[in-house]
Amino acid sequence: MEQRAFILKNSLSELETLRERLEEFGEAWGFSPKSVFETNLVLDELVTNVISYGFPEGGDHAVHLEMSLDGDMLHVVLSDDGRPFDPCQTPEPDMSCPLEDRPIGGLGIHLVRKLVETLDYERADGRNILRLSRRVQRT
Amino acid sequence: MQMNESKSGDIVVLSVTGRLDSNTSPDFEEKLLVRIKDGERKLVLDFGSLEYISSAGLRVLLKATREVKAQGGKLVICAARDYIQEVFDLSGFTAVFALAPDLGAASGHF
Repeated sequence: MEQRAFILKNSLSELETLRERLEEFGEAWGFSPKSVFETNLVLDELVTNVISYGFPEGGDHAVHLEMSLDGDMLHVVLSDDGRPFDPCQTPEPDMSCPLEDRPIGGLGIHLVRKLVETLDYERADGRNILRLSRRVQRT
Repeated sequence: MQMNESKSGDIVVLSVTGRLDSNTSPDFEEKLLVRIKDGERKLVLDFGSLEYISSAGLRVLLKATREVKAQGGKLVICAARDYIQEVFDLSGFTAVFALAPDLGAASGHF
């Protein structure tokens, strides 16, 4: 099992760091470009939520990401010391209603759910801990 | 994210390069909505050089589509790459956005 870990600061400009890390790991682990893109999208949505809503009092915080690869299954643990937030509890948006009535929120988690096999939330020792797994294509 | 503009008749073509995520989408939103406020009613977003989009970018597209529709106009998205198209599909927006394979086909939407 191969493992990598990195830390992002609570600033949306860190999405660029996330992209760089995923491109590095994707290359090292032989991910297809599609798998790099989709993994980036999943983690972008989750990290964006944490950075945007997790720290209403501001200040410097760290978002920890640990990635491990077991065959073609990628496991990611994302943790932070922000306010409790369980994205698994976000209601699914109603995609069937007309454009004019469609709610503009909830989309990010909708995309995450479509692109992961498992997504589990735990609050422990004052931290949000999200565990996800997703299948990747390796070249 | 970079946006370049060109005009062909009364159609404004906005070519978007780079990435649309929660960090870059506010800039994209401002640049796009100002064109609608300026009175443009036929807009094409050329996504041929767009590398990435997240829900933050989708929200801007949805908002702009609504705004221009409310003004009696139309927004067409063209030349989106496979991965971007997949995000439209997953989000259920394929049926909401006017999508065209290329610039020529986009002009046919007006």
